[in-house]
Amino acid sequence: MSILEMNNVTKQFGGLMALDDVSFQIDEGEIRGLIGPNGAGKSTMFKNIAGFYKPTSGSIVYRGVNLEGKQPHTIAEMGIVRTFQETTLFQELSVFENALVGAHIKSRSNVFSAVLGLDRLKQQAASEKVMDVLEFMGLTERKDQLASELPLGSQRALALAIALVSEPRMMLMDEPFAGMNAEETNHMMGLTRKVRESGITIVLVEHDMKAVMGLCNYLTVLNFGKLLAEGTPDEIRNNDRVIEAYLGGV
Amino acid sequence: MELFLQSIANGLVQGGFFALFAVGLVLIFGVMGVVNFAHGELVMVGAFTIWVLHAQAGLAYIPAIAVAIVLVTVIGLLMERLLFRPTRSDPLAGLICSIGVLFILQVIAALVGGDGPSKQVPPPYQGTLVMFDALRIPYQRVFSLAISVAALVSLWFFLTQTKFGWALRAVAMDREAAELQGINTNRTSMVAIGVGTALAGLAGGLIAPLTNINPHMGHNVIVTAFIVTIVGGVGSLSGAVLAAILYALFHTLITVYFGGTIATISGLVLMVAVLIVKPTGLMGVSISE
Amino acid sequence: MNSKGGFTIQRMLFGAVLLAILLVTPHLLSFHHKDLLIFLTINVLAVCSYRLVTLTGEWSLIHAVMMGVGAYTVALSVNHFELAIWFTLPLAGVAAGLVAALLCFPLLRMTQFYFLIGSFAAGEAIRLTWVEFVGVFGGTSGLRGVEAPIVWGIDFLDPIPYYYFSLCVVTICLIILYRIEHSRVGLTLHAIHWKAPLAESVGVDAWRYRALAFILGSFFAGIAGGLKVQYLGSVTPNQFTIGFMVFILIWVIVGGYNKFYGPIIGVVVLTIFDESIRSFEIMRPAIYGGMLILSILFLPLGLESIPAKLKFWFGSGTSPDEPPLSDQ
Ligand SMILES: Nc1ncnc2c1ncn2[C@@H]1O[C@H](COP(=O)(O)OP(=O)(O)OP(=O)(O)O)[C@@H](O)[C@H]1O
Ligand SMILES: [Mg+2]
Repeated sequence: MSILEMNNVTKQFGGLMALDDVSFQIDEGEIRGLIGPNGAGKSTMFKNIAGFYKPTSGSIVYRGVNLEGKQPHTIAEMGIVRTFQETTLFQELSVFENALVGAHIKSRSNVFSAVLGLDRLKQQAASEKVMDVLEFMGLTERKDQLASELPLGSQRALALAIALVSEPRMMLMDEPFAGMNAEETNHMMGLTRKVRESGITIVLVEHDMKAVMGLCNYLTVLNFGKLLAEGTPDEIRNNDRVIEAYLGGV
Repeated sequence: MELFLQSIANGLVQGGFFALFAVGLVLIFGVMGVVNFAHGELVMVGAFTIWVLHAQAGLAYIPAIAVAIVLVTVIGLLMERLLFRPTRSDPLAGLICSIGVLFILQVIAALVGGDGPSKQVPPPYQGTLVMFDALRIPYQRVFSLAISVAALVSLWFFLTQTKFGWALRAVAMDREAAELQGINTNRTSMVAIGVGTALAGLAGGLIAPLTNINPHMGHNVIVTAFIVTIVGGVGSLSGAVLAAILYALFHTLITVYFGGTIATISGLVLMVAVLIVKPTGLMGVSISE
Repeated sequence: MNSKGGFTIQRMLFGAVLLAILLVTPHLLSFHHKDLLIFLTINVLAVCSYRLVTLTGEWSLIHAVMMGVGAYTVALSVNHFELAIWFTLPLAGVAAGLVAALLCFPLLRMTQFYFLIGSFAAGEAIRLTWVEFVGVFGGTSGLRGVEAPIVWGIDFLDPIPYYYFSLCVVTICLIILYRIEHSRVGLTLHAIHWKAPLAESVGVDAWRYRALAFILGSFFAGIAGGLKVQYLGSVTPNQFTIGFMVFILIWVIVGGYNKFYGPIIGVVVLTIFDESIRSFEIMRPAIYGGMLILSILFLPLGLESIPAKLKFWFGSGTSPDEPPLSDQ
């Protein structure tokens, strides 16, 4: 059963077709790779899904609901959470606080209960959830450090932690392995697998082909905003058009 | 009908004056990214200079204007060098600094002018231009309008026809790209604030014989400048000029028929309305067009 | 944001000393200085409520006018309905909060520079309405004869009881403001400030939280304005000009806006300073302006950051009981 459907999605920036009539579907529980040369429109696709951009035309349907006109926070509440291509954290907050922001949907507080301290239990549950996720991400020791003080690998892990705390059904991960060394990449791949095993559907944008091929069971390839090919890692590896697109891009 | 035409004429004169300081504010904001809250006080300093030199010391009007322009420009250049340049990374800091300058200039004006009521400068140009039998415009206003138009045309020429003007527009469009192209952004900032403040000095010189001069007259100036800037589109010079004229007509007409406070309230509401419809202003978005 | 410590001996001692100072001070002061002390107390609420608005990273220029909304509400409700202060103060807050709620729709479409200018315009329009509609708001001369409240037979025309009363009100408000900032709501506001898109990506409605901060900040500003008019007995549009707004800004910035207590330090220190340069009369604004510039250039984090700096220069780096940015 498909959890997300792209129907003829087009996104235009002035004269530039960042996405050109793209249609594909993603199944529940899948870990899908979305690849393509630089500027192919991968991040633009994520931003359209997560509501940060509005498609120029076409529709995006999530679990039977058209996402048209929905704000990013509403889409997050519906269960789609994206991570950002650039490392994006609340730099001046501690690791724990960063992750706690992710608990917003599940345990938001209103002013009255905040002032009167009426939601202690809920907040305690949120803290526990956060600690669980930090443990899962191997960040427990660093929980009181400022996000800006973390090494790159941990920053990436924290970005993922923020998303995970919000208990999404579907995660859009934009180049989570960028700038990592082999060891860090391996570690993150392991984490990504564990996330997927917990039942979260993942769409992964990544330039590290080894990682993508290793993680994903199915790939979608974009080039110049157009859907170029779809298939299993083996099919994509041997697809002439894909090879050409990547070589032509160099 | 006569009243209406007369108001239009007065509005046009006012529009030229509005445009002078609004354009300066836009230029400084566009190139340097700072909102110069002291811009109204610069106009005030220009007007005070006329009062001191022309009305008190007896210097002729035109040389007095020249001194006003130089003085205000020097203040502007000092502000850029001492305040805006060190705080360039933080636009809010630049704005706060300009508020500090605002206080200092007001106090200096109060010290120079002494206590007491607002000052007046007798119009150096007497007489009235009469057109179509009914339309009466004092020569002082005619002079003011002519000089404003001349200054704006020169500014346009400077920005579009000279190398410096080109550099200014490049920096306003994209500071980093301009820096990469080898444009000296410190120098363009100096030029921008120099030109912007010179226009404020000129505006002060032109308004001096037409208004009451006091240390707090900058307040109305900055309110007007904000309205004009927002309505015209932040960063758009031609937008600012057009908006200045339209707003002056609007303000003059409403003042005539409903009173000054209502006119200003309407202007402010208009400005908020414009911001709602298009948060970047009505006309254009960049100084570069 | 997680509150550390609880009650240590030092804290209790500090609290006791502070309380003693607050309670004894008015008895040591001249009449003029008692007045000043009351205004200082009220201004503490003004700056702290302003800080709540700025938590999301937006600086408004309408806060002074929001105090005015509170002040006019009190003046009107006392003059027309003779309401007691128990009603007028909350009413002042609610009125300012309501005005803020209405203004959210236009103003919060903008951010940064546009918000600053937009809030300035909206504030000035409201203020000019008080000037223009003489019948309701009394025009430039404002509303007079706002009767001093009498509570439990105590006449609040006398500064000392009124000081104690405003001290109580302001303290309660500060506790609420502090708790808001150090709750999940406050964390969300900080998060929006640092990275609004990231917060939105995990379901935070940034607009609503900006609105919340703006409305709550205005609510407490309204109460501050109400306290002021109840003491002064009159209100004019001139009390809430951009000039006063600039003072709020100066207090907050010179004190340091990164910490809850920064603006309080700012308003207290600058009020004392202002009093000490009283003899300079006409020069005072210039001295203020100069200080503002110097503090922006040389002390961008405000007075609040001085102890940490001193410790850094003379001691062993950061102190153990005060980790950096613990307030965030
Ligand atoms: N806000 C925008 N305005 C104008 N053009 C944009 C905008 N965002 C993206 N683009 C353009 O759209 C195209 C696709 O960009 P996108 O960021 O989606 O590529 P990508 O596939 O994520 O590339 P990369 O692998 O480098 O991250 C690019 O040509 C880019 O310049
Ligand atoms: Mg990308």
